[in-house]
Amino acid sequence: MVLKLYGFPMSTCTQRALLALHEKGVPYEMVEVQLHKGETKTPEFLAIQPFGQVPYIDEDGFILYESRAIARYIAEKYASQGTPNLLPTADLKARALFEQAASIETSDFDQYASHIVMEGLFKPMMGGTTDKAKVQDITSTLSKKLDVYEQILSKQRYLSGDNITLADLFHVPYGVLLKRAGADVLDGRPNVKRWFDDMTSRPSWQAIKSGSAA
Amino acid sequence: MVLTLYGNPKASCTQRVATVMHEKQVPFKLVTIDLSKGEHKAPDYLEKQPFGQIPVLDDDGYLIYETRAISRYIAEKYADQGTPLIPKDLKAKGHFEQAASVEQANYDAYAGKAVVEKVFKPMFGQTPDDAVAERLLTSLEASLDVYEKILSKQKYVAGNEITLVDIFHLPLLSLLPLTGRDVYSTRPNVEKWAKGLIARPSFQSVKDGVKSTA
Repeated sequence: MVLKLYGFPMSTCTQRALLALHEKGVPYEMVEVQLHKGETKTPEFLAIQPFGQVPYIDEDGFILYESRAIARYIAEKYASQGTPNLLPTADLKARALFEQAASIETSDFDQYASHIVMEGLFKPMMGGTTDKAKVQDITSTLSKKLDVYEQILSKQRYLSGDNITLADLFHVPYGVLLKRAGADVLDGRPNVKRWFDDMTSRPSWQAIKSGSAA
Repeated sequence: MVLTLYGNPKASCTQRVATVMHEKQVPFKLVTIDLSKGEHKAPDYLEKQPFGQIPVLDDDGYLIYETRAISRYIAEKYADQGTPLIPKDLKAKGHFEQAASVEQANYDAYAGKAVVEKVFKPMFGQTPDDAVAERLLTSLEASLDVYEKILSKQKYVAGNEITLVDIFHLPLLSLLPLTGRDVYSTRPNVEKWAKGLIARPSFQSVKDGVKSTA
């Protein structure tokens, strides 16, 4: 039975799971969840995903939520097909450097990027008004973190070394939306730009980007 | 050569890693980084940790930062001693990663910042932003309502066995009461789980300050 991905094309978190599925060449069926109709807060949905969020997968009855957990599961299960070593398992030290990069992504990028995009892009899309001072404030914090990324990426091609991993790809869905949200932070640092353009030119992102709000 | 942990005895992130060291019975030497003297921003420290944060692990010249990455490295390297903390089975691993992602996005994102506002800022003579703290605590409580449901069906966050992810919730679990919000008395399953974790000898060994064990 083909894997079912519950989410929707414009959802950044769904895109994170989609990137892993495309990189590993895993067939799937997207079941669109009607977020705007409140589907994620229904008792039926909450019985499966108790936090009321997308995406989740149903693989023949095995349910898994949290986009990064889904991506990791796909990368491990299908380790021997598609892009290799998206989640390095063979070498303990390579694995730890991957975990370091994965932790940097959530602590030093995602928490700022997601708030900038929520405030600067999704809020006005839903009829609200952007708090520009707040966006500027968070952007300035993110910029300092990206200065460190620039340093790291001046010595190696990707965040955990010279091979691409999930930790790099996790940055893409919010990364592509930053400029539109009012934070033009990825173009001005040559190594960061090189790294990010490399990822968005990959067939995996090209296959799904039409769903993005970018 | 013995492991060296650069950190601060009372810092939450240092305590988190030290708890894992104790669970896995791994001796380590603590080298104190004095944050009040700006030692974490000194050039030779920034060589080890370019974001200027603590802790960092030095395993005979192999450097790794980010508490969850360090913890995972220790749990994998010393898989055969102490408490088993990372499941091996693919699906159990999937649930482990799901819980790990929830810990960062739906727990630490709120709890960490709320504790900084309500507990650490006053400790260092700074004024807390009460409005921000209250919003964070309300979001945290919504997540803990979901934890209450999850923990009514299983003993720990990833299943019926303890894993690293339960430990990641420490030491904040012990600090939450200091924020002034009573998060436990209306959530008996969360309370039982939290109290059990706080009582573990590993956390009791570090909660008043991390000390070298080698």
